[in-house]
Amino acid sequence: MASRGVRAQPRGKPSGLPFHAHFSDVAAQAGLRAPVIYGPPDHMDYILESMGCGVAFLDYDNDGWLDIFLLSGTRREGPVEGASNRLYKNNRDGTFTDVTAKAGLLRQGWACGVTVGDYDNDGLEDLFITAWPQNILYRNNGDGTFTDVTEAAGLLHPGKRWGSGCTWVDYDRDGRLDLFVSNYLVFDFDRIPPTGKNPNCNFKGIPVNCGPRGLVPERPMLYHNNGDGTFADVTGRSGIGAVKPGFSLTAVAADLDGDGWQDIYVACDSTPSLLFHNRGDGTFAEQGLLSGLAVNEDGNEQAGMGIAIGDFDADGRLDALKTHFAEDTVALYRNAGHLVFEDVTLRSGLGVETRYVGWGNGIADLDNDGLPDLFWVTGSTFPEVEWKHPEFPHKTPRVLFRNLGGGRFEELMDGAGLAIAEAHSSRGVAFGDFDNDGDLDILILNINEPPSLLRNDVRGGGHWLKVKLVGTRSNTSAIGAVVTAAYGGRRQAQAVLAASSYLSCGDRRLHFGLGAATTGELEIVWPSGVRESVKGLRADELVTVKEGAGVVARERFGS
Amino acid sequence: MSQARRALAQAQGPSAQTHGSGVEAHLSRGLQLMQEQLFEAAASEFEQAVMLHAGDPKTHLELAVCLLSLGRNDEARRQFEQVQKLAGESRYVTYYLGRLDLLANDYAAAIKRLDSVAEEPPFPDTAFHLGVAYISSGNMAAGTKWLEHAVELLPRDYRIHYRLARAYSSGGHEQAAAREYELYSQLRDEHKNTEKNVRDCSSALQTEPLATAREVCHLIYDPNDADKLTLLGQLFGDSRAFAEALEPLKRAVQLDPNSFEAWHNLGVTYFRLNQFKEARAPLEKAAALRPEFYGSVVLLGATLYMLGDDAAALPVLERAHRLNPADAQTAAVLEKLRAGAKKQ
Repeated sequence: MASRGVRAQPRGKPSGLPFHAHFSDVAAQAGLRAPVIYGPPDHMDYILESMGCGVAFLDYDNDGWLDIFLLSGTRREGPVEGASNRLYKNNRDGTFTDVTAKAGLLRQGWACGVTVGDYDNDGLEDLFITAWPQNILYRNNGDGTFTDVTEAAGLLHPGKRWGSGCTWVDYDRDGRLDLFVSNYLVFDFDRIPPTGKNPNCNFKGIPVNCGPRGLVPERPMLYHNNGDGTFADVTGRSGIGAVKPGFSLTAVAADLDGDGWQDIYVACDSTPSLLFHNRGDGTFAEQGLLSGLAVNEDGNEQAGMGIAIGDFDADGRLDALKTHFAEDTVALYRNAGHLVFEDVTLRSGLGVETRYVGWGNGIADLDNDGLPDLFWVTGSTFPEVEWKHPEFPHKTPRVLFRNLGGGRFEELMDGAGLAIAEAHSSRGVAFGDFDNDGDLDILILNINEPPSLLRNDVRGGGHWLKVKLVGTRSNTSAIGAVVTAAYGGRRQAQAVLAASSYLSCGDRRLHFGLGAATTGELEIVWPSGVRESVKGLRADELVTVKEGAGVVARERFGS
Repeated sequence: MSQARRALAQAQGPSAQTHGSGVEAHLSRGLQLMQEQLFEAAASEFEQAVMLHAGDPKTHLELAVCLLSLGRNDEARRQFEQVQKLAGESRYVTYYLGRLDLLANDYAAAIKRLDSVAEEPPFPDTAFHLGVAYISSGNMAAGTKWLEHAVELLPRDYRIHYRLARAYSSGGHEQAAAREYELYSQLRDEHKNTEKNVRDCSSALQTEPLATAREVCHLIYDPNDADKLTLLGQLFGDSRAFAEALEPLKRAVQLDPNSFEAWHNLGVTYFRLNQFKEARAPLEKAAALRPEFYGSVVLLGATLYMLGDDAAALPVLERAHRLNPADAQTAAVLEKLRAGAKKQ
């Protein structure tokens, strides 16, 4: 991470338009009270302690209600009582029950990223977690428990490795989820230079933890699903291993050029981000620079942390939003087609915000007006700095840009509820409708604090449509599918993602705000390549579409 | 050397503190702070200069440029417009207003303004900003044309090669794009290497013996790059390794005779080595390039004084005194010189 010293653009006059989403942090009343331990609370001597981890919304028991999985760290000095990754079961009444122990998921360590997907196609969501020094694969047993099958799956690796981003991806369209894993850098507590040791370990004149500059980046890896519960390392033969490594963090798999094959975009910290273009023959070509996704519009690399994929301009193509360090803007890339992306950050009005270190993010229609908004969480990596420089606080607010249409955004400093302005040192974020009321809520991981659960109460009468896909020829989770919704004269694309934001995973049910429209149509491109149209859908319903069978279920929430 | 002259020689230097309340003093202090990249403080100085002499376009111009550096674009625009009111149309102001239009996403206005000065550009990156404005407005052909021109003017600026590569890519000119991407990558790598070498050199100069540091710092040396040579000279100078600083700075002023930084640092270096005769010309050049920069003016005055050319030193130090009335050392020397002049 490094500041690029970018100054904010001036803010224009507020539009004065009402914003109909209203967020309240209901984590405590929902039962999410355990703090997420990640290093010491007031200083971070090692980069491992500063990077934090992700969260997930998932439906592990297939009851139609989103459960919550929170990753956790520990402290170098020794285990911290109660610190563990945690699974919370949704009680369907706005509260959750901690079922971690019962589920067999108690574990304390330096967890980092999570990807959720049904890798064995048994209809149950499994969990893969990256961590230092060893990643973990949990198979969902279907009875509320999980089994650590890392070794049996062939995913144990020798030595210590810092797995960061991870995503399930069916890169060869064989109907089974393969696994992509980013590795951040070579880390060992005993070998990392101490704080302040060299120019890479100073920020604003304050000695801070070292890295990533000056440390050794590691290559990402790709594992092929053999279909028998095991995986084969295909990093070399797929071309993934041929790239010059960067400091890789969040990895997102989506078909970005619409050729029917999943590409993989990796946010890299302080090095050019990577775009692995899927050639459709089991190999990838790195095309970050050629696509425009590697650097910003001036050709400068940024400190990539989180990636959101969505269609902010509702033109039917998947765009990308990447978060970065403080004193820099985020990067909003507009998909111009044919794997060409334009950096429209400044043009879209996002250059006004450069104050915070950005992490988990989303392109999500938060007020159901039919136009996806932008949201990200923030938090410093150097708690020591605020003692001398109060202008760089450790805990900082959330950032919300509402979509004004026409490719323009406006930052909402207030007007979306007090929870947006609350300051935390946050990392992972997941978007999903945990209370099944037809809007998107937000789950946020805060370092050394309990998480935040921002319940969204949308007013204004905007309609919505939710889509759940079930693969048959494709993986059952339908990860990799692209759904284009047509409503009110707009065409908005969304992808079923196994990971995004910062090392996190959101609701697999796609949520489209429809604005005033009361009907919609869907074009679905399944991961298998099968295309399917669904017409005549009514607003305010969750529809379940099974590959090849059309709509198999409709649900109106609250009825 | 008399005691007074020795004391002055020791006291003067780039880090001399400046205080005072006249317009020139505020301007001088603002420029010094800009040099040190302390933009907020610089803006405050310029604002005070504007308050003292609101009718002077120069005060508004310096404030405007500083506000632009701070990203306070609306305020910068108001100041640039004020300059225009006071001094009439100027290519420089038009250029800055064009850049502000670009930052405000008003591409039509940016094109109009930058186009009007592109034939005789006030700054070498005018064509670059014009190209960006055209491309942002959707006119890829005109944007590409101006970026091609920009790359001729600033062939080592990786930003321009990247933008040009993107423009070629969008236009389907893959071969040309590949060439520009290659140049971009090469220059970007060079830039990153330089950044690393600067960090290493700076660290080595603080922690290693000079012989070792010299080897580390030599990685920055590029006989054809005035900026790198100036930077190297500055790094040596900051560590008081003045003898090492001479050669790169001498080469830098040959390569870029209009570089204030190179001339100023060369003058400072000679001065610090007590080579006053050699210091004179570079400091005269620096003071001519930036007459409001107190550091150069006072050092030139001190140099002339050390050379015994009191007649030449007197007006220069008087100017330095106006730029920084609170410098007691200069005031004392001035008093002596004035007394001496009266006697004659």
